[in-house]
Amino acid sequence: MYNLLIKELKLGISPFFYVLPFLTGALMLIPAWLYFLVTLYFCFITMPNLFGGYKSQNDLMFTSMLPVKKSDMVKAKISFIVILELLHIVTAVIYGLISIRLYPNMTYYFFAPSFGFWGLSFVMLAIFNIIFIPMYYKTAYKYGAASIASITAAILFAVGAEWLGIQNSFVNDLFKGAGAESLPIQITLLLSGIAVFAICTIIAYYIANKRFEKVEM
Amino acid sequence: MLALDLKKVNKQYEHFRLKDISFQLEKGYIMGFIGANGAGKTTTIKAILNLVRMDSGEISILGKNMAEHELELKQEIGSAFGDINFYTRSTIKTLTNVIKTFYRNWDDDTYHKYMKKFKLIEDKKIAELSTGMKVKYSLTLALSHGAKLLILDEPTSGLDPAARDNLLDIFQELVQDGEISILFSTHITSDLEKCADYITYIHNGQIINSAEKEEFVDTYRLLNGKKEQLDMIKDRLISYKINSFGFTGLIHTKDFDPSLTIKSSTPNLEEIMIYFSRKEDQDV
Repeated sequence: MYNLLIKELKLGISPFFYVLPFLTGALMLIPAWLYFLVTLYFCFITMPNLFGGYKSQNDLMFTSMLPVKKSDMVKAKISFIVILELLHIVTAVIYGLISIRLYPNMTYYFFAPSFGFWGLSFVMLAIFNIIFIPMYYKTAYKYGAASIASITAAILFAVGAEWLGIQNSFVNDLFKGAGAESLPIQITLLLSGIAVFAICTIIAYYIANKRFEKVEM
Repeated sequence: MLALDLKKVNKQYEHFRLKDISFQLEKGYIMGFIGANGAGKTTTIKAILNLVRMDSGEISILGKNMAEHELELKQEIGSAFGDINFYTRSTIKTLTNVIKTFYRNWDDDTYHKYMKKFKLIEDKKIAELSTGMKVKYSLTLALSHGAKLLILDEPTSGLDPAARDNLLDIFQELVQDGEISILFSTHITSDLEKCADYITYIHNGQIINSAEKEEFVDTYRLLNGKKEQLDMIKDRLISYKINSFGFTGLIHTKDFDPSLTIKSSTPNLEEIMIYFSRKEDQDV
């Protein structure tokens, strides 16, 4: 499994995509922007490019010929996606901290880059993963429909969350009102988001694994 | 010992089916796997490598069941698909460094020996290699991890005559010690005349014949007769062609009565293939 992950890191991707999080993360410096977009760029750019590369380089056939378990192939690929997602979020969080210090008196219409917001971003990626990964592993090469469905769902979540943040007094209070001032609440929101992300990704792995067992090269 | 043993392998697709594929390859020999395009060569090879799941049947490699010992056996198999390329923009070096981590018996000395022997340059990208070089690189990888069975799908297709001859010489060298066995598919029959010990012929998803090369050819006779003689023997012929002098047809040796005055000769592999593919057209 470890050597498969190394294979992903070394072969599967252009080094550009390791730099990209630092570029998209810099968008956090736009004052009071719609910050969900920053992590969404991962779904818009990195994922389709990554899976397009796999398809054109015959990654499925290449990996299948190696002495590896099918379940490890899925595990390695999902781990790689998670590593990239974390890279995107962590760099965005760092830029977010800078952003808050740069503009201390900013009025945020959308979510500010708080820990609670990053919790929501994790949930957004969780939704993306649980749709994209199982759909992709029906064939293990077609990524178009899976991308469209998962990106749409992620956007809908972001829109819904922002709308609730503006319209719903409870959510508004939690993320922008009194809740924003309370570190325990913020940390709880973040940890809950991470938990949802972990659970969804693990479920995605189990479904994907089952489907991939039936895939023939 | 058998390097490869297929027993009644079946696989059903919507428009094609592999039917009761059975054949054996003795350790230390080369088997040519021939058949027309679309006959089922690649599908059979994929079934051997467990890339497609067979519906029924049994495949054993080096005495072990492939379905049960897939990972262990894949350590001992080297495979190459002539027409599929992987990670073409990566250099040989990058690819090798990734691939070698998967094999417990990887030997760097063997790797460098064959890289030198085949004149492969580590800094070259896969896309820059000629078709022949790509096959040689696949062979180098297989030999470096100590593969005992080489399964090659159309390794000679797309090679010029000199490169093909060179590759066939390499195959023969490899099996010399009796440790390595090779199964390679091709539709170029002259390859087999040059270097195969055994021949397995697949046609429309079925094995027509699998035998030692001379025996394989000896199973058939090519007949040259006059038009009036055709009716006498028509039913027993596999297929025939009519020309202005009479007819030529292929027959199983056992069905041929030598007392007939029809001229007979030993066919070559190409003729066997051609007459078998005519069979369907005539049956329809």
